[in-house]
Amino acid sequence: MFPVLQSSLPYLLQGAVYTIVLSAIVVVFGTILGVGVGVLAAVGGKALRAAVTAYIFVFRGIPVLVVMFLGFYSFPAMGLRLDAYTAVAVSMIVYVAAFVAEATRGAIAAVPAGQLEAAKSLGMRKGMMMREIILPQAMRLLIAPVLNISLMAIKQTSYASIVGAWELSFAAREVVERTLAAFQIFLGVMIIYFVICYPLSLAARALEKRLAFDH
Amino acid sequence: MEAFIVFFTRYLPAFADGFLITTWVAALAAPTAMIWALVLIIPRLARWKWLTRLVDGYVEIMRNSPLLVQMYLLYFGLPLLGIFWSSIVCGVIAIALQHGAFLSEILRSGIQSLSQRQWEAGSAIGLRRSAVIRLVILPQAFIRVLPALGNQLIVLVKDTSLVSAIGVMDLTLTGKVTIERSGASFEAFIAVAMFYLVLTTVLGLALRVVEVRAARRYG
Amino acid sequence: MNPAADLASRGEEIVAINGLRKSFGAIEVLKGIDISVKRGEVVVVLGPSGSGKSTMLRCVNFLETFEQGAITVNGRPVGYKTTGGVRKPVSELENARLREHVGMVFQSYNLFPHRTVLQNVMMGPVKVKGMNAAKARDLAMRLLGKVGMDHKADAYPGRLSGGQQQRVAIARALAMEPSVMLFDEVTSALDPELVGEVLKVMRELAEEGMTMIVVTHEMGFARSVADRVIFMDGGVVVEAGPPADIMANPKTDRFRGFLSRHLSEDG
Ligand SMILES: Nc1ncnc2c1ncn2[C@@H]1O[C@H](COP(=O)(O)OP(=O)(O)OP(=O)(O)O)[C@@H](O)[C@H]1O
Ligand SMILES: [Mg+2]
Repeated sequence: MFPVLQSSLPYLLQGAVYTIVLSAIVVVFGTILGVGVGVLAAVGGKALRAAVTAYIFVFRGIPVLVVMFLGFYSFPAMGLRLDAYTAVAVSMIVYVAAFVAEATRGAIAAVPAGQLEAAKSLGMRKGMMMREIILPQAMRLLIAPVLNISLMAIKQTSYASIVGAWELSFAAREVVERTLAAFQIFLGVMIIYFVICYPLSLAARALEKRLAFDH
Repeated sequence: MEAFIVFFTRYLPAFADGFLITTWVAALAAPTAMIWALVLIIPRLARWKWLTRLVDGYVEIMRNSPLLVQMYLLYFGLPLLGIFWSSIVCGVIAIALQHGAFLSEILRSGIQSLSQRQWEAGSAIGLRRSAVIRLVILPQAFIRVLPALGNQLIVLVKDTSLVSAIGVMDLTLTGKVTIERSGASFEAFIAVAMFYLVLTTVLGLALRVVEVRAARRYG
Repeated sequence: MNPAADLASRGEEIVAINGLRKSFGAIEVLKGIDISVKRGEVVVVLGPSGSGKSTMLRCVNFLETFEQGAITVNGRPVGYKTTGGVRKPVSELENARLREHVGMVFQSYNLFPHRTVLQNVMMGPVKVKGMNAAKARDLAMRLLGKVGMDHKADAYPGRLSGGQQQRVAIARALAMEPSVMLFDEVTSALDPELVGEVLKVMRELAEEGMTMIVVTHEMGFARSVADRVIFMDGGVVVEAGPPADIMANPKTDRFRGFLSRHLSEDG
């Protein structure tokens, strides 16, 4: 029924593999970096906290596409020869980490003050309190927001095609330029993205309800 | 730093144009998205079962696929149907279609968070269902989700950068063209980032003022 | 734990509060408090809402800073050290060490929701004192048995009633083998039918000779368990003495008024 879509499906699926790999890299490293930065801000001094606040403010205030271009054009200026794919990955990791860091700060702040007082009363010091009481509870609160941020990141990997990194959206444009079958191809690609994103979407919604502690 | 200032002043007119286009796209897309969001919640409020399901499916597809591909679909697809819209129009409509879905979800959660008593109180004073919705439910839900709506608007402003992919000379495309045509370097995108930051920050502050006012008046 | 040995050391001062003053911003909530608590003594603090009872109690394990006065626990300074007339904050480590000797139970239980009942009780001994896990487990199970919660050792706190959570919180504080236990309105958040089970545990603790400072609105508990009652109002100690004396013959109008308001609601 959709001859062009059928014949180009293998090519598009190959693009989807690139999308998934790029997404996985961005989500994994973005989460690690973001949680690290968020925790640092919670344990660090004033200067560190201010630096993290500035980082979060700047990256949340500009479009990810601009961050991708910034990375793409500035890595060579720093003497780094990165291909478009790597440049996009690095830029997106830094971008996604800002969102994760903000969520981490929120999750840490959401641990009730009574928990800290109880831990202090047992004679715990700051580091142990962070490790044993705050982080385990904050991490649980963080799962749903991080899933939502991951969802955002997966969709944003499609912008990599604008910067010139080959993945699903890039492949789709190539096929359309060749065949002009814009409807079939872009609708088909939307469905492929949907198949990747929807399970995460469902998981995020289910976990939001399940993971809250009743204190 | 000095080099950056020299660069900045030299290309300022170009960036100013791009800034205006970006602002223009956002100014068109935001109200369109909001109106579309209101349209999208009508079936649920009117209890039209099938249409509600259709809207739910639409919202899921919008939320789970990239805006860029949706934009491509309109921009490259519509001409095949003999519809020739400018890239700005395609961009604005694509943004409104996706953000309308997100905004309608936010409104829906606001409506759901209102207690059943508000509905009952409305009908108790003799209002018809449509009047209860218009006079009692929507205004309260709206105020309750104002912060979430504001966040979504900021995301919308950032998403206008995608219109650069279909050839609209906005801030982002201005940055790219400046680099490619005039041999400027990555500083162009620092300038672009700064413009966006100004835009989202000013919008964020304005939204805060609105929120605080609303909270003071109705909280 | 050992009444005979305790008797010998009775009279030794465990908590000493001298000239304690504390403000929140411009509002002074403690205006010079002096309290001394001896080993094995049960001191019950009464007073109207906002009189500064919680604040005073929280100063004892330095959950609150204070501007003037001094507190010692077992002779060790709390929060600040004065050397050569200069008052200096002590290190975070010293405060943590001190808190090991001060058990605290809160109105809102504050159990750790991500740990089981047993893990909650073991956490202090294992993580803070470095006790080995097997020993800590025995200790924890014994204390849980004492508060009647050993059958729920593997449950998570979210599954327990308020009264059960509060008994676990008491066991958690006891596991540190503190020199003194602080209780801040620990039954106020409980449904009326659950108050008794918590008071019973506290009563047993008192009988075993635990040194306790108890802020409460339970007049019956004050009268029958306290060695000494302290009535606070407006940030000062208004009356103090054995419950049989001062609760029967209040000297001030403020205490008399307070008692008549509270005795009517409680036998
Ligand atoms: N963190 C704080 N910041 C500002 N003011 C506070 C703070 N904590 C307590 N206060 C004020 O200090 C005063 C004493 O409070 P405190 O909690 O010690 O009273 P209380 O005797 O325990 O009362 P209650 O019986 O209600 O628990 C009150 O006026 C209270 O509003
Ligand atoms: Mg209190």
